[in-house]
Amino acid sequence: MTSITMEEESKLLIVLPGDQLPESGLMEDSSAAHRLTLGPGLAPMDDDSITAVKAGILKHNAVGNRWWVESNQRRYVAAQGESIIGVVTGKSAEHYKVDIGASQPALLGVLAFEGATKRNKPNHNIGDLLYCRVSMANKDMEAELECMNPTTGKADGFGELKGGFVIKISLGLARRLLDPKNLVLRLLGQHIPFEMAVGTNGKVWVNSASAQHTILICNAIRNSEYLNSAECGSMVKSLVEKM
Amino acid sequence: MSRLDRTRTSAHQLRPFFSSQNLLNRADGSAQFDFVVGPAEVKLRDEKLDKATLEVVVRPLVGLPGIKDKAREQAIRETLEPLVLSGLHPRTGIQIVVQTMKDDGSILATAFNATILALLDAGIPLKSILGAVTCIVDSETNQILLDPTSQELANAKSTHTFVFDNKSSITSNTESKDQEDAVEVATLYSDSTGLFSEEEYFKCAQICYKAVQAVHGFIRTAVQKKLEKEQQQIHS
Repeated sequence: MTSITMEEESKLLIVLPGDQLPESGLMEDSSAAHRLTLGPGLAPMDDDSITAVKAGILKHNAVGNRWWVESNQRRYVAAQGESIIGVVTGKSAEHYKVDIGASQPALLGVLAFEGATKRNKPNHNIGDLLYCRVSMANKDMEAELECMNPTTGKADGFGELKGGFVIKISLGLARRLLDPKNLVLRLLGQHIPFEMAVGTNGKVWVNSASAQHTILICNAIRNSEYLNSAECGSMVKSLVEKM
Repeated sequence: MSRLDRTRTSAHQLRPFFSSQNLLNRADGSAQFDFVVGPAEVKLRDEKLDKATLEVVVRPLVGLPGIKDKAREQAIRETLEPLVLSGLHPRTGIQIVVQTMKDDGSILATAFNATILALLDAGIPLKSILGAVTCIVDSETNQILLDPTSQELANAKSTHTFVFDNKSSITSNTESKDQEDAVEVATLYSDSTGLFSEEEYFKCAQICYKAVQAVHGFIRTAVQKKLEKEQQQIHS
């Protein structure tokens, strides 16, 4: 076992831009092929080395010899297949312009909804909240969205989000909220019934019976970013008691 | 020997580091003294077809930005442009704002260090990080003093600011590279004012290079602390 695997098991391996993957790490799991798959945060450099380009935790999956860096940031960069929350900012004959928090607004085809035809299509206004899927994203063009599952053609939860409230959080926190074992959501759910949609673009939509509850949930989510389990529990408890 | 500010006992000591990250909630990334917005929309006339446009704004402690601030803006922008992987975000803009909160010497080096921390916080892809240190050659003692205060700067025969990057291997980041010959070290940026000899210049470069390793170490620790806090709930 090389030192990289040992470190991963016991503690987090933090990398900064400029840190290189050692040669020995590449040969580790692949006996025959010297092939590795690079995920976000790693890039091959001119001098044939693999260098980290973001600050984060170096992760490795033996399946397919995958390496990537788990980092956090607030600004979203569109990636295909992600589910995101967007706000309609413009309308044309063929597309909706949707603000997803990236450098440019994304385009959502007017017919990209379940069962939409030219005669029967949904009508969304400027300011509407939509839960969509990124169907195409590359760095040179605006991203394209769709409000349905591409393989089945069904809505599958995508579409308009009515009522509720949206908050902006960091991308890392949004990913952690998607974990089914997430602590703060479980604790909140014990006290308040609510529904929620998490966009991997750092936007979270929360809806509950009263505005007071909605604001409490949003504050609890925002506060939970840098807390550990014990602090999280007491934070939720103090918020709920104030209600 | 004691330095003028009485908190340091050696000529080669740097002042203690402080930093905070992710302070501002409207910005995409921030570190104390600095904030970064980006990649964001950029005006059509500034748009570059295949790269991100980097914009740096330096604001002084008091008053309106003057030529010194413009010079610092240019220094920071030109040093960072080759470091930022702007090809990953074409037709976007990255804006960096440096606001001086306290001025006690070594402003340019502090601005560089804060900028790199803010860029890391914003998740902008970079080829490497950088570290900056200022040193002076004292006019009376001819000694090289690191990280001078404003008072020490007033007594300086020459002032030098150096910026170096980090190129290390992940498993060996605790070992320092054996760079005894200062001439071979790749400098990202070097600014010198005053009267000095070639020998003094290279000696300063060597001393600053060693000091910059401490800056890199601090950046690594700061990032590590922040990441550990974020990951607490998953790993606890």
